[in-house]
Amino acid sequence: MRDRRLLGSIVVFAVLLLVPLFVHDTFFLRVASEAIMWIGLAVAFDVLAGYTGYLNFGHSAFFGIGAYTTAILMMRASWPFPLAVVAGGVVAAAGAVLAGLPTLRLRGAYFAIATWALARAIQQAALMMTVTGGPDGMRLTAYLQPRFFYWVLLGVVGATFFLLWFLLERAPFGLKLKAIREDEQGAKALGLNPTHLKVQAFVLSAVPTAVLGGVFAYWVTFIDPDSTLGDLVSDQALVMVVFGGMGTLIGPVVGAVLIFAFKTVFWTYLADYEVLYIIILGAVIALSVVFLPNGVLGKLRRRGAVRRPGTGAPAPAAATAPPAAEAGTAAARKGAT
Amino acid sequence: MAEPILKVENVTKAFGGLVAVCDVSFQVQPGEIVGLIGPNGAGKTTLFNVVSGYYAPTRGKVFFRGEDVSGKPPYALAPRGIGRTFQVVKPFAGLSVLENVVIASFLKHPRRADAEAHAWSVLELTGLADRADAPAASLTLAGRKRLEIGKALALEPVFLLLDEVVAGLNPTEVDRTIELILQLRARGMTILIVEHIMRVIMRISDRLVVLNFGEKIADGPPAEVARTPAVIEAYLGESAA
Repeated sequence: MRDRRLLGSIVVFAVLLLVPLFVHDTFFLRVASEAIMWIGLAVAFDVLAGYTGYLNFGHSAFFGIGAYTTAILMMRASWPFPLAVVAGGVVAAAGAVLAGLPTLRLRGAYFAIATWALARAIQQAALMMTVTGGPDGMRLTAYLQPRFFYWVLLGVVGATFFLLWFLLERAPFGLKLKAIREDEQGAKALGLNPTHLKVQAFVLSAVPTAVLGGVFAYWVTFIDPDSTLGDLVSDQALVMVVFGGMGTLIGPVVGAVLIFAFKTVFWTYLADYEVLYIIILGAVIALSVVFLPNGVLGKLRRRGAVRRPGTGAPAPAAATAPPAAEAGTAAARKGAT
Repeated sequence: MAEPILKVENVTKAFGGLVAVCDVSFQVQPGEIVGLIGPNGAGKTTLFNVVSGYYAPTRGKVFFRGEDVSGKPPYALAPRGIGRTFQVVKPFAGLSVLENVVIASFLKHPRRADAEAHAWSVLELTGLADRADAPAASLTLAGRKRLEIGKALALEPVFLLLDEVVAGLNPTEVDRTIELILQLRARGMTILIVEHIMRVIMRISDRLVVLNFGEKIADGPPAEVARTPAVIEAYLGESAA
């Protein structure tokens, strides 16, 4: 089952790769590129939020760090774009370790507040420094190639998605993070070092976010503290993840696509009712928290449309195990083969 | 005598002004089942937490297989062969029973397929195999206690700390758990067990260590300990002694 879903993801990825060859409408490409970027941001957010149980309201800081690192290196040090983007990822990784060690000791609301405050501090720093251009922001050399950015964003998000799929759904790492989420003290007794795992998750969440920030900066050619370091990235990623389904990889993808589609339709056809957008979005969040605690994906799963993830192929021992008392369990086990 | 598997040396654990465990020393030999008993608030669970790395001792030392492990965190002790259960059970509620045990199996089986194979064998041993796909939160108390033991066993420990794994179970479940514990000892595991139910502790322990108000008041074979005046006094009050 899980493999079939991976296969589906690969097919979707391949189709998306081919889209710019057939579609030349720049508006469409721009919207699609942004949607893909949001998929990446939401999936990265979920590493910490859904799998590890830490709501990171400083997610936007990593997006901004990537954007500014890329902009500064390209404009002030004449670095080529690919190197500058990678440097943004490296800076974010270091930042995640530094920020994670103290803040990941906190739990729940305290972690959310601490990361939010840290993001605000970084935003203020960007406003005051000269290298960032302060409140005036930074302008990058325009590179008007919509297809190029579409492919770069798709490449980054695709690589992120499949790497995370392997680490979180296939390798032990994902289950270990979930153990931390469920009971940190209990996890320690099983030989898991919560600090190590949480910092690793933090880095894993921060790096793709920063890389996307770097690509974003070059793509939109202008960044300022508000657009890249403001709350938007954290808030919107949270909304997408909650709406789609936390603690899964497909959930954030579904949430990102639906929320972004809604946003685009709204801004295209109902731009006069700007205020309504925020109100409707807020209502959607409130309603989905109450009625869809496990997101859209969780709703589908409960109806049996999607099988519970994490039920891997039965281990060899299962074959030698005596028949399970429950026929349903035995059938389910067989079904997973 | 062989080298003790666990040596607790003059351990004191104080929380501010409250001394929960005071100058306690005892040893556990390989293959032994040692019962740790005492009235409520005697410091049994605190001592457990010191031995399993959740608390660093205020004074004194803990040696495991000759190595000083005082103050080492739990995740450093698990790889050395110490497994423990919690009195207040700690299942990973949102995960399946199988996943709970798989996570513990990662310690000795880093590959996921191997860990799952091992987890299945532990579920068979603890009688949880038919519940493997169920969320851990759906288990009864008896099931959760068995899951606690299962998770500790999946670490393949040489030394197992059991904190009230029998309390709260019905007589049939109690007997099943006792059987499991004796089976584990037969496989060469050393066990330190905290338990309130005297019927159980008297039956399975080779030796008892008795705590009262944080201090050790007796140490010896169950029958002998049961006759010790200080123990009778601690349990029944002064007039009975």
